[in-house]
Amino acid sequence: MKIAVLLRQVPDVVEELVIAEDARSLAEDDVMYITNEADEHALEEALVLKARHAARVTAIGVGGEEAKDALAAAIAKGADEAVFVPVPFEHRGDNHRLASVLAPSMKAAGYDLILTGVWAADQLDAGLAGLLGVRLSLPYVGGVVSVAVDAPGTKGTVRKEYPGGRLAVLEVGLPAVLGVQSAEQPPRYVPVSKVAQAKRTLQLTELTEPTVLEMGVRPTKLLKSDPISRAEMLTGDVSQVADQIVRLLRERSLV
Amino acid sequence: MSPESISLELETEGVPSDATNAFLSRILKLPGGDQLLSCIQCGMCSGICPMGYAMDYGPRRMISALRAGRIEDVYRSDAIWLCVACFNCTYRCPVGVPITDRLIAGLREELLGRGVGVPAEMQAAFERTSRYGNPFGESPRKRDAWTKDAGVDVPVLREGDSAEVLWWVGCFGSYNKRNQKDTVALARILDALGVDFGILGSDERCSGDLRCTSQGEEGLFNALYQHNAAELGKRNFKQVLVGDPHAYNALRKEYPRLGTTLSVHHYTQFLADRVSDLARGMKKEITAKVTYHDACCLGRRNGEYEAPRDVLLTIPGIRLVEMPRNRENALCCGGGGGANWLDSFIWQRTRVPLPMQRVQEAAKTGAQVLAISCPLEVPRFEDAIKTSGLEGRLEVREISHMVAEALGLLGGY
Amino acid sequence: MTSREIVVVAEHAAGEVSDITLEMLACAREIAHTVGWHVTCLFLTDDPKPLEALPLASDQTVFVKDPALGPPNPAAYARVLPHVLKDLSARLVLLGNTSTGIDLAGPVSEALGASVVSGCVGIRSAGEQLLFTSRLCGGKLVAQTEVREGIALALVMPGSWNREAGMRDAVPPTGVRVSPVPLATLPVRFLEFVEPKMEDVDVRKVPVLIAAGRGVQSKENLANVEALAKELGGAVCATRPIVDQGWLPRTRQIGRSGMTVKPRLYLALGVSGAPEHVEGMKDSELIVAVNTDPGAPIFDIAHYGTTVDLLDLVPVLTERIKGTRGD
Repeated sequence: MKIAVLLRQVPDVVEELVIAEDARSLAEDDVMYITNEADEHALEEALVLKARHAARVTAIGVGGEEAKDALAAAIAKGADEAVFVPVPFEHRGDNHRLASVLAPSMKAAGYDLILTGVWAADQLDAGLAGLLGVRLSLPYVGGVVSVAVDAPGTKGTVRKEYPGGRLAVLEVGLPAVLGVQSAEQPPRYVPVSKVAQAKRTLQLTELTEPTVLEMGVRPTKLLKSDPISRAEMLTGDVSQVADQIVRLLRERSLV
Repeated sequence: MSPESISLELETEGVPSDATNAFLSRILKLPGGDQLLSCIQCGMCSGICPMGYAMDYGPRRMISALRAGRIEDVYRSDAIWLCVACFNCTYRCPVGVPITDRLIAGLREELLGRGVGVPAEMQAAFERTSRYGNPFGESPRKRDAWTKDAGVDVPVLREGDSAEVLWWVGCFGSYNKRNQKDTVALARILDALGVDFGILGSDERCSGDLRCTSQGEEGLFNALYQHNAAELGKRNFKQVLVGDPHAYNALRKEYPRLGTTLSVHHYTQFLADRVSDLARGMKKEITAKVTYHDACCLGRRNGEYEAPRDVLLTIPGIRLVEMPRNRENALCCGGGGGANWLDSFIWQRTRVPLPMQRVQEAAKTGAQVLAISCPLEVPRFEDAIKTSGLEGRLEVREISHMVAEALGLLGGY
Repeated sequence: MTSREIVVVAEHAAGEVSDITLEMLACAREIAHTVGWHVTCLFLTDDPKPLEALPLASDQTVFVKDPALGPPNPAAYARVLPHVLKDLSARLVLLGNTSTGIDLAGPVSEALGASVVSGCVGIRSAGEQLLFTSRLCGGKLVAQTEVREGIALALVMPGSWNREAGMRDAVPPTGVRVSPVPLATLPVRFLEFVEPKMEDVDVRKVPVLIAAGRGVQSKENLANVEALAKELGGAVCATRPIVDQGWLPRTRQIGRSGMTVKPRLYLALGVSGAPEHVEGMKDSELIVAVNTDPGAPIFDIAHYGTTVDLLDLVPVLTERIKGTRGD
């Protein structure tokens, strides 16, 4: 079985987000990237499936140089192969474009399963997974929290998450694209030394862009969200704040 | 991966039969590693270990298992994760087996490498340290944000700058809200003493000792070392002053091993060299009975017991009393070796939190103040005081904070 | 002449219409009101009966009826929608930014050649242009997007519009039609639902909720939070990361993929306030947020806030509340 995992880099919100001078994107020099959390789960799910079915996992890293670090970590965790898809800074949020860049080579590779996060933190466009499903004429289900593949490898049984902890069990014909919400187990740890070693010995296939490219929407304006702060802030030290909270609760007969 | 599932996973993982040899051959090559074979099975280590009663494989038994070629049995035990790196075993061993740093750390490294049985909280601490240079997951750029409210000038040394003293602040001292007041206190003391000092600011990253050398994440320790050594190399200074005993141990003991030798002092040692200056500057009395808790990394690991006491004795009004378990016999606060992140894991298996034992011991001396010299101890002992019902009877104070108060430097803070 | 049709793709379950549908209708109504656009509420279902008498705020309600549209099958919906939307001459299509809607955005937009804007918290029209406001990066960024021509497909964030405005006092004209495409063979088959085990507390029924977020930092600190909840006669709930770590069962998770609650008191401890969580609790009567980050988005929706450290506050607050018992 051949599994592909798409790993995207998104701005790390731990760091201060700085708007660029054009006021419609982030300042490239100030952005620190981190692998999209849902994509980390997609990788973990792929590795779980690899262990179960002796599958071959191809990690596809999308973005700038930092995507190569994500690929080294993926190899260190157990992925078999790494593919780097360079995407210029200004196009990184454009899933339509990305889907059209990826589709030809992914079709040719003939994957049985394509996994990626169902959502990305910086996503304004439609989800990549769904768009990829259309481009590849493959069935797509999103919000997946577990994947089981039958013995012949023709059908997958997935659990899709709905509000309230409810799950829908769906049967999907393979090959298919799945948008992962969370993996069956938390993303595994890999020691720094292993990642460092993977980096040193990393063999990447780099994807060259096809000429036909489509575009999704681009913001006309990007702003940092104002803390509109509807909240009335309680001041003072811990003791004083505690007293104020007790007073608020008393006023509402909550104590 | 829950700790409970460790043994099950290992049984099906298929640990190679020559795993013991592979482990030993790796460890024996490390400095001091060959001492592992000199063990006389006296049991001093397991006996003195504060967690010994909860370990099915105490250090003695671990070595015995290795000799029998049965590393698999050790892997299946939880004992590896119960170690709080208090250094008692290594300190007491009559033949000098480096138990904490070679045996325990080595075993943890094996498990980390397999991705098996790493408690999730520890994983998060490693990942954050690797990414952000501190275990809290705070932005590296905010590391010196505490200086804004220090009330004194805290010079940040850039490339090419010089100062007599490079003050290594540390992760807890920089980011942790409960420790920042003590960091500010030390800044004010240095300022009052007219010390020519500076900090690395946001170029400083975790020293790695706390989570790494005794954790088995050598790769992470190395990566942090590379960064820190390079940054230190860009500045000129005569000595390094450290607030955190864990960083003190890393810079003093581990950095030379990797190629960087520094003149390192813990702040209590630095101040102990200046007792007459301190005594002259005292303005306020602190009338209290004080007992000092010896930090493992300062005490057992590096032999410094007197400097903190000498500094405390400069404060007028202080009456120093000793706990029964003092100096090399001090009871660890339980936060070392990454245990600070493993409290629930350890609690489930041992049911007796070390910090609670320690604060009760302190209270029994009649002391009103438990003086400490390691930032980890502040939150650990403060929480233990609340849980033990000692609130109001015992107070935890960092030595720097007490000295600063007595020098009259804490106004407005 | 460009179409002026807004189609709200309704979400429903067990004969009941979901809140997000009403919120989308409120949104559609707002746009339609300013520029005279027409609003259709579109249901894909196997049984229109329970939904036919709803006094929705649409100008018409259309049902596409087919047995294959009973269970929630993303493949069935994705196949039917583009045809129906074309048929209705939709200019603006509203989908929920939900587990249902997210699945459909890609396939439907591709089939229609539509522009997609996710995470919408505001939509308005200016002449022929549609202007969208979205929140990204955990609520820290706001993006404004314009779609000047062609079909626009917007994913609407739950909680951004008032659901009451999605209803009115009369039932709009309804129509039932068959599926325009065969749905016999689909690549995805719905098998069954798995309900969460409710052996635990039902947080939806508890009047006082104390929420534990990442700021709680360790499982051990949860014990203090539990103690506080006990003093207040409430229960502890959590954000997704806490549940993912296994510190609390999934039935305690509040937010987009968890429970939606409206307690009398929601005390958020160390919760940043990411949209996925806020969706599940924004209607709480009294929201008090504790977070050391003054810029945390939670303060946008809380009634009261404080930046003191929750680890310091919780034990003190527990003591004070214990103290009030004596009065």
